[in-house]
Amino acid sequence: MRISAALPTGVAALLFESARRRRAAEERLVARLGEAGYAEVILPILDYLEPYEALLTQATRGELYRFVDRDGELLALRADFTPMLARLLAPRLASLELPLRLFYRGDVIRFQEERAGRAREFYQVGAELLGLAGGAAEREVLRLFLELATAVGGGSLQVVLGFAGALDHLLLGAETDDPARLAAAVARRERGEVRRACPRLLGVVENGVPDRPEDLGPEAEGRLLDLYALADELSAAFPGVRLSIDLAEFAMSSLDLRLVAGEGERPYYDGLVFHAYAGPAALPVGGGGRYDRLFHSLGAEVPAVGFAISLERLLETRT
Amino acid sequence: MIRLALPKGRNLDAALVAFRAAGIGLDGLNGAGRSLRTRLPEEGIEVLSLKDWDLPLYVTHGIADCGIVGSDVLEEVDGDLLVPLRLLQGRSRLSFIGREGAMPAPGTQVRLATKYPNTARRIVAGRAWGAEIVKLSGSIELAPILRLAELALDIVQTGRTLAENHLVEIETVAEVSACLVVNRASYQRHRALLNDWIGRLEAAGVVS
Repeated sequence: MRISAALPTGVAALLFESARRRRAAEERLVARLGEAGYAEVILPILDYLEPYEALLTQATRGELYRFVDRDGELLALRADFTPMLARLLAPRLASLELPLRLFYRGDVIRFQEERAGRAREFYQVGAELLGLAGGAAEREVLRLFLELATAVGGGSLQVVLGFAGALDHLLLGAETDDPARLAAAVARRERGEVRRACPRLLGVVENGVPDRPEDLGPEAEGRLLDLYALADELSAAFPGVRLSIDLAEFAMSSLDLRLVAGEGERPYYDGLVFHAYAGPAALPVGGGGRYDRLFHSLGAEVPAVGFAISLERLLETRT
Repeated sequence: MIRLALPKGRNLDAALVAFRAAGIGLDGLNGAGRSLRTRLPEEGIEVLSLKDWDLPLYVTHGIADCGIVGSDVLEEVDGDLLVPLRLLQGRSRLSFIGREGAMPAPGTQVRLATKYPNTARRIVAGRAWGAEIVKLSGSIELAPILRLAELALDIVQTGRTLAENHLVEIETVAEVSACLVVNRASYQRHRALLNDWIGRLEAAGVVS
């Protein structure tokens, strides 16, 4: 019998040089994470589905590979490190010394509709900082992310910053019965629809920030000013990186239940959020943010910030 | 230099009319003939000539920064693209077509021929009748004429082809327009230029 060399959709084997390249890049990242005081955690490739049930949105549920184990338990393949780590740490937090600096590496497996360039298995290297509140943690994590991504990527790194819930006040105050749909239109920058429902959001669609920051409501306005300060500081420290603030990019990262998280967006971010793109073709290479509410939903109160880098995507930008 | 992907076929005219009205210089394309890639150095634009169905892929991957593509194709391929504008020029309809009286009765099962199987599946999911979807790549009208399928889901522009073939437009399911699509990362990089284009297209009254 002849055996076909074809693999299932969305997975790939790395042979020879491509394997060597990925391992070499991984080792560099891991060495740097170690120097920065982050300790490795190794997590299983599958887990019970039940602990995640409450954390799933329709979109993230659709990404899961679920199956029934031989003893009848419902299991899922690892689709995201952050919730897995959170659910393992939440019950143990009381006995751990904070802050905790952790990193992980490994595959995540997500079902995606078949499209060119859309893998179903990705190799991620990521880090989480737990137990350090406020801007200091966000600054540390973003700096580390920028350092790692520029060390391994092919240059022209672009990072877009925002924060969850930034547009909630405007979206919920708009002339529409369906604010979630409006959020999607803002995220896609559909000007016609946004103009009809909420002209004050047009500045956000156009420039990433509102013409008048006070339109965001007092709390979000303060956060936007903090974000400007953080972006200025990081721009000075990483002159080769293009940093921009864009609240429309994260229009679907909301804190309100009426504005459910959209496809692809990790639904647990509740503070800073960022996406990174790299290379001439501007591939999405990673991202992260603050996710205190993930721990809250698991019964633990601890501030948490983290990021993940898609290593294969980042390496593609080097060629 | 910004890379603009333009479609071949009916949406190309819509794009050129809109860009001309907005004073965005693509006149250099006139002498380009069948060239697949044309640089317009004075305008800082490189134009790629692509098939409708390939265009979203090029923009999603950032090979082209932006492009013009029909919403029919965009809905079908469902990439993660920004869609700032829809052009007024060259609008058409996505409709069920068939012979007179071909609309399926509730509870029946029919065959449906289309170039848009994903869109068709979404639409049929909300109907009281079911359909086996047959994907074709062209001459969709032939399917109901030759009874390959009872129904077809296809673009109707003037309806002339339908009339000539004794078919009718049974129901319009969506308005179709040519859309400006932009890659997410390119939007950050070329924000000033793209906003200038968008402003001029809006001021020229060629967008909905």
